[in-house]
Amino acid sequence: MSLHEKEMRQVYAETLVEIISQNPNVMVLEADLSKASGTPPVAKAHPSNFLDVGVAEANMMGVAAGLASCGKIPFAATFTPFATRRACDQVTISIAYAKRNVKVIGTSPGITATSNGGTHMCFQDLAIMRAMPNMIVLSPCDVYELRSMLHWMAATEGPMYMQLLRMKEPKIFDENYKFIPGKAVQIREGNAATIVTTGYTTRWAIEAANALQAQGISVDILHYPMIKPFDTQSLVASAKKTGYVITVENQNILGGLGSAVCETLSEQYPVKVKRMGVHDVFGEVATEDYLLNKHEFSANHIKAAVLENVKNKI
Amino acid sequence: MEHVSAFDRTVFDRRAAEFRYVIADMMGHAGSGHLGGAFSILEILITLYWREMHIDPKNRLMPTRDRFVLSKGHAGPALYATLAFRGYFDTKDLLTLNKNGTNLPSHCDMLKTPGIDMTAGSLGQGLSAAVGMAIAGKIDKKDYNVFAIIGDGESNEGQIWEAAMLAAHKKLDNLVVFTDYNKFQIDGPTQEICALDPLTDKWKSFGWEVFECDGHSWDSIWETLQKAKAVQGKPAMIIAHTIKGKGHPIYENKCESHNIRIPDAKAHQELLNALHVEGLQWP
Repeated sequence: MSLHEKEMRQVYAETLVEIISQNPNVMVLEADLSKASGTPPVAKAHPSNFLDVGVAEANMMGVAAGLASCGKIPFAATFTPFATRRACDQVTISIAYAKRNVKVIGTSPGITATSNGGTHMCFQDLAIMRAMPNMIVLSPCDVYELRSMLHWMAATEGPMYMQLLRMKEPKIFDENYKFIPGKAVQIREGNAATIVTTGYTTRWAIEAANALQAQGISVDILHYPMIKPFDTQSLVASAKKTGYVITVENQNILGGLGSAVCETLSEQYPVKVKRMGVHDVFGEVATEDYLLNKHEFSANHIKAAVLENVKNKI
Repeated sequence: MEHVSAFDRTVFDRRAAEFRYVIADMMGHAGSGHLGGAFSILEILITLYWREMHIDPKNRLMPTRDRFVLSKGHAGPALYATLAFRGYFDTKDLLTLNKNGTNLPSHCDMLKTPGIDMTAGSLGQGLSAAVGMAIAGKIDKKDYNVFAIIGDGESNEGQIWEAAMLAAHKKLDNLVVFTDYNKFQIDGPTQEICALDPLTDKWKSFGWEVFECDGHSWDSIWETLQKAKAVQGKPAMIIAHTIKGKGHPIYENKCESHNIRIPDAKAHQELLNALHVEGLQWP
């Protein structure tokens, strides 16, 4: 089976099994969501590197900080709302403020929480984690990027937060892909607009770009696997070329990717920005399609936003 | 490498008296401080750092050292005095407590103060970190112990009990925790705010071996500590009966000793006069 035929969580677990074989200090921590995170294979392959603390996210973050103080490198995973909202002060103080080498993993970000509904559908994690000093913020879009990123995370000292999509995601990169920290990845090149994405939304921008291509319209797609620190250079260069920036994010448009883009452009090169994503409402039980359409950041909505700008220019 | 030093009651008594004076002076220079909860843990800290812990101030990060977590991080000044006089940093630095740019903040910060094993101050979090350290010791088959002090008020925090459950589940007999049971929290007596008693039964029911001691008696602390360390297959809790503000005639056993204001030089001098130690050369 090719890597891209696997679920993201399967690749998360398999990569960690591999990493632990090379570095026995790496550990996987869970708060009773091991099956959801896909990590039972880690428990099986490396039982002493696996710790399930039970339904106690705050404790998990503190224990992770203590383990890190003794040279361990914990990857502590739970659903996104619990990793970033529920255990917010523990992550802030015991991990970020104390600069512990802990990797916090938020699974099922944004609308991908689907049937778990509003309580589990976190639209704030990027905003929360961006505002935390010392914290690096990451969101891979496919299995190849995830695998490369995990290797880099394990080898790099410092507190980090990574969104983890759990299910199958379409192949965007390939076996040769290497995650480069601090750099946006230009996935498409064009002139009509700059589309800025991260993690889950990159696939929809690509789908929109493919549809636009058929109509002879080309766009820049800047995919940000690392949201913080934010690659301002690539953004400004692209904005200078296209003059119009669309941000697409799988969360509240307040404080996340769109905000990072606006903060940069307003200071360095002001152009018009359209922020697509969730407009300051809570989530609900629904399918991904329904939520994409309701919150208007599907491929069709992205395409329409580009066309609207093209039309306005004419 | 320094380890256990001989116990000399006269020396230890004098050290505790001197530390109370020095800590009060630190707070006097700062204009305020958490005096009550710092004074209630001094005999425990002195016992740990001069009689018990396997540590070396000259090699403070040695992997085999015993760890200490002051989960009630607001008692930082007591730990700073302990660490400075134990040789981790210059005792002159003690008077920088809470000053702009200091390495001695009101609450413990492992990135700033040499010898601090864990940042703490947001209550309930230090115990989880101590549990993590103890788990790491088990995984790595190292024979260090992890010691921690939690507050009684701090024990209102749910995270304390999350950590308690996991420590028992993981059979962490390399973990010894003291509860500084001085019976006061900021807003009043612990029994009136959110009653902790029966505290011993609570910890027992969480699967810990539980002891009680007089938290100001060298003998009681030491003997209980030896019993706690000998426990197999369980973490140990020592409920140390202490007195908030212990040893200060104005503040002893007073709830308001939690965080005192020392507005001017006169108040500073009054605070110190009550703690006079004959022949003390300070600073």
